Amino acid sequence: MRTSAKKLVTAVSASIALTAAGHAAAEIQIGIAGPMTGPVAQYGDMQFSGARMAIEQINANGGVMGEELVAVEYDDVCDPKQAVSVANKLVNDGVRFVVGHLCSSSTQPASDIYEDEGILMVTPASTSPEITERGYELVFRTIGLDSMQGPVAGNYLASLNPKRVAIIHDKQQYGEGIATAVRDTLKDKGVEIAMFEGITAGSKDFSSLVTKLKQADVDYVYYGGYHPELGLILRQARQADLDTTFMGPEGVGNKGINTIAGEAAEGLLVTLPPAFDQKAANQELIQAFEAKGEDPSGPFVLTSYTAVQLLAKGIEKAESTDPFQVAEALRSGSFETPIGKVEYDKTGDMKSFEFVVYEWHSDGSKTPVN
Amino acid sequence: MQDLLYFSQQLINGLTIGSAYALIAIGYTMVYGIIGMINFAHGEIYMIGAYTALIAITGLATLGIAWLPVILIVALVCAMIVSSAMGWAVERVAYRPVRGRHRLIPLISAIGMSIFLQNYVHLAQGSRNIGFPALIDGGFQFGPEGAFEMSLSYMQITVFVTTLVCMAVLSLFISRSRTGRACRAVSQDLGMANLLGIDTNRIISATFVIGAALAAVAGLLLGMYYGSIDPLFGFIAGLKAFTAAVLGGIGSIPGAMLGGLILGVSESMTSGYLSGEYKDVVSFGLLILILLFKPTGLLGKPEVEKI
Amino acid sequence: MAAQNLKHAFFCAVITLIISYPILGFNLEAQGINVTLTGAGTSTIVMVLLAAVVVFLFQLFRESVMATLKSIPRPLPQTHKEPVAENKRAKIESRVLTAIIVLALFWPFFVSRGSVDLATLALIYIMLALGLNVVVGLAGLLDLGYVAFYAVGAYTFALLSEYFGISFWMSLPLGALLAALFGLVLGFPVLRLRGDYLAIVTLGFGEIIRILLNNWTSLTGGPNGIGGIPEPTLFGMEFGRHVKEEGNSSFHETFGIAYSGEDKVIFLYLISLVLAVFTALVIRRFMRMPVGRAWEALREDEIAARSLGLSRTSVKLTAFTIGAFFAGFAGTVFASKQGFISPESFVFLESAIILAIVVLGGMGSQLGVILAAIAVTILPELAREFSEYRMLIFGAAMVLMMVWRPQGLMPMRRIHIELKKQE
Repeated sequence: MRTSAKKLVTAVSASIALTAAGHAAAEIQIGIAGPMTGPVAQYGDMQFSGARMAIEQINANGGVMGEELVAVEYDDVCDPKQAVSVANKLVNDGVRFVVGHLCSSSTQPASDIYEDEGILMVTPASTSPEITERGYELVFRTIGLDSMQGPVAGNYLASLNPKRVAIIHDKQQYGEGIATAVRDTLKDKGVEIAMFEGITAGSKDFSSLVTKLKQADVDYVYYGGYHPELGLILRQARQADLDTTFMGPEGVGNKGINTIAGEAAEGLLVTLPPAFDQKAANQELIQAFEAKGEDPSGPFVLTSYTAVQLLAKGIEKAESTDPFQVAEALRSGSFETPIGKVEYDKTGDMKSFEFVVYEWHSDGSKTPVN
Repeated sequence: MQDLLYFSQQLINGLTIGSAYALIAIGYTMVYGIIGMINFAHGEIYMIGAYTALIAITGLATLGIAWLPVILIVALVCAMIVSSAMGWAVERVAYRPVRGRHRLIPLISAIGMSIFLQNYVHLAQGSRNIGFPALIDGGFQFGPEGAFEMSLSYMQITVFVTTLVCMAVLSLFISRSRTGRACRAVSQDLGMANLLGIDTNRIISATFVIGAALAAVAGLLLGMYYGSIDPLFGFIAGLKAFTAAVLGGIGSIPGAMLGGLILGVSESMTSGYLSGEYKDVVSFGLLILILLFKPTGLLGKPEVEKI
Repeated sequence: MAAQNLKHAFFCAVITLIISYPILGFNLEAQGINVTLTGAGTSTIVMVLLAAVVVFLFQLFRESVMATLKSIPRPLPQTHKEPVAENKRAKIESRVLTAIIVLALFWPFFVSRGSVDLATLALIYIMLALGLNVVVGLAGLLDLGYVAFYAVGAYTFALLSEYFGISFWMSLPLGALLAALFGLVLGFPVLRLRGDYLAIVTLGFGEIIRILLNNWTSLTGGPNGIGGIPEPTLFGMEFGRHVKEEGNSSFHETFGIAYSGEDKVIFLYLISLVLAVFTALVIRRFMRMPVGRAWEALREDEIAARSLGLSRTSVKLTAFTIGAFFAGFAGTVFASKQGFISPESFVFLESAIILAIVVLGGMGSQLGVILAAIAVTILPELAREFSEYRMLIFGAAMVLMMVWRPQGLMPMRRIHIELKKQE
């Protein structure tokens, strides 16, 4: 009974694979899995925006190995259960390359399925260290880890010789991770940490936190998290007459913070990847986004763009669409991308990723600090 | 002196949040008092009020109108109209057909409506946090220079005063006007009120509309006070306001105010003296404690069970 | 009369315009650093106006429309037929159920991995819904924090496997028992509360558990969750591509077949099926015992029940404890299926969905609840085509189901014996 059932299953899978291969003859499917709805849909928007733009531009330049890229989009609502369903659906649809997921809690269970079924996954936003610590061959990241960004921020702050520093985070994977990294760096440098506290992402009222910061009498406040909360904190801080300098990671370095914080965003320190504004090629890219009415400064737009670009370049380098060979090509190559030079190590993390400290201005522009 | 100032500051913070909760809690408490159901979609009505107010404000700014009182009044009126209409529509579509059934059915209907409205606004306006302009700025500062200064912003005063005014107006309305009397009658005994010739359907709709209008006021005030809005923030606020209403005794309007203030102050104090991470735990813990000793809430009428 | 109707119809149309035009007709956009207002596309405005017109016409001709709808023959003509005799019904029912279970045992070998995975999720929800059915449907206790017990079951397994290396089979009863303990602990403070006060306190309890899980980072990993949760093994054989624990052999190597990712998915499905059937059977047994009768008595009229000597304490506590026990089962299976859990999976919306399943199925009715659980799990997957509108449709569907059929898909039929007519 079992063997004949197994034969049936193999036959069915083979026919699915053949159909998928039939697709591959004319086009390459790139799955994009992220939250289209739900509480973090605004970050999912960034992911889809960046990935779609990349696919458009690559197709306009002749595609990959003569074939067009086709985007296949899935909504996982940043819910681990749905992420698993999405991963299964991806497998059924015969998609072999995925840009996603966004939330670490979705990426982790989904990557189990991708690794099992031989699907290459590049995540543009998940920062949980565990994702690349399991010895998987087909998992890659285009986002810098906390271990790269934290020391940059911490060292800069320490170089300013502050008396006391407060560290706030949003209790989520990314925010708490980077806040911890900064705290550890500062502790090593002997800076006094006045408080290390978390706020709930999605809350609007930070008046008690601001009062507490006022009383703590610190020179700097480091915030680990994204722009919606920091924007509100900045605004409410200015209203309460708290004028310490704030610093945040790349998650806060985008124009969204200006619409919320207004004048209060002036003087905010942010760590960002440097190649953002410095290369001419990026200028064209930024203009392409703005022509479509989309904002390229969100933290995951360019990382998603880069993810698609890397997939395309990997396929070209390996001269095949077999995910294992593409993975090998990615690990053995060095690529120029909008987020900088990308080289991968064995685990699928980028070997090094540069971050530079910028000062943010109330008109949305930024200048690097020296 | 420092400690006293710090304490007072957190107290002011708490009273302001509390007033906000109270405004929204009234909607919950009125609806419960009159038909005995929890209107889970009320938080979304608050959110829609905030969005409408922002749309009005931005629209006026585009037209070039800059005089503050006009902007505020127009935004307030627009928000109240749209929220009231929404409240009326929600009642007609989701609650009236299931009135009188087992209490779980309107509850599920309400939760479904809440999900529907969240996604409605999400699809219409996008999911990102949108900044609300700070129309009322500035405030007072107390305290010695160089040390901790307590600040009392004009916006905080506005929120608190507006809540008091709304409460006062509502109480007058309930106790003096005809419709108010009818409301009280219907909440005491629906069947009897019907027999006495009161159009209970109209009164129930009026309750929803009043609650929605107050939520709209809260939406405008809190949008300005906090600084940003998004389609999902109504839900959390609604949950907190509902907790406040139960704390104060659901069905009682002064109870809603008291519950709101207590909840706001307890959150603020927990945040200020312990840690912001556990303030929700303390709020719910406080609720459970009070319900253990006074099962109908602080100002709730003890429910006499008739056999 | 016609004028009244006209006024009402006009009013409804105006309301429709008010609630849709401002929100749909204007878009708040962040341009650069400012917020601006842009008018929506013409198609949106046309749709809004069309909606207003439809509402106007509907309200105007409501009488005739409703009459036409009523005259359409009902889809379930059986409701007018005579009910089948009780003992014959029981036999048919048991035959049908056995057939379904046999089918369910062999079905996974013929379909894709994704479908089996989805079916496992449906079985998890079936266990949850059956458990909540005991608390809400049978005992009439309004519990809005059921997800807390689910979380306890899941985290127990995750923590036991992370710190002590305990396997799935050992954690299954432990997780369920710990969840039952939490049920007991929750039951005590709420003994005196009724109705909506009970609802809000249970909701608070659910939220407290979630916040504790999120903040107690040293124990639970906080927002990062706990990963690396092992799958169940079959007599020491693991189902992964590579063996993770020493001393275990690999399933495909022992049987000499090629590795297929489907094996472990099918195995987990079969375990969930067994557990779900176990849950259903046990609860059915409870329903026939005095305890079950006591629950229903409590639901119908608490004062009468107490005056008949039923101890309110023990009845409520048994309901909570048993309901929580099965949530613990479901939590353990869920943790194993996902391999990774985080507090995000245990929000209030989950409680609401499980509650909706119970109400949708018909409170107290086991079969109805099972059907509703399957429907609620599978339909959103089928609707993936609509991706953006999925949640919108879900919310609207909840409202529509309550308005259209509030008694649920299959209202509960109390187990009873019929006396034969004396000839």
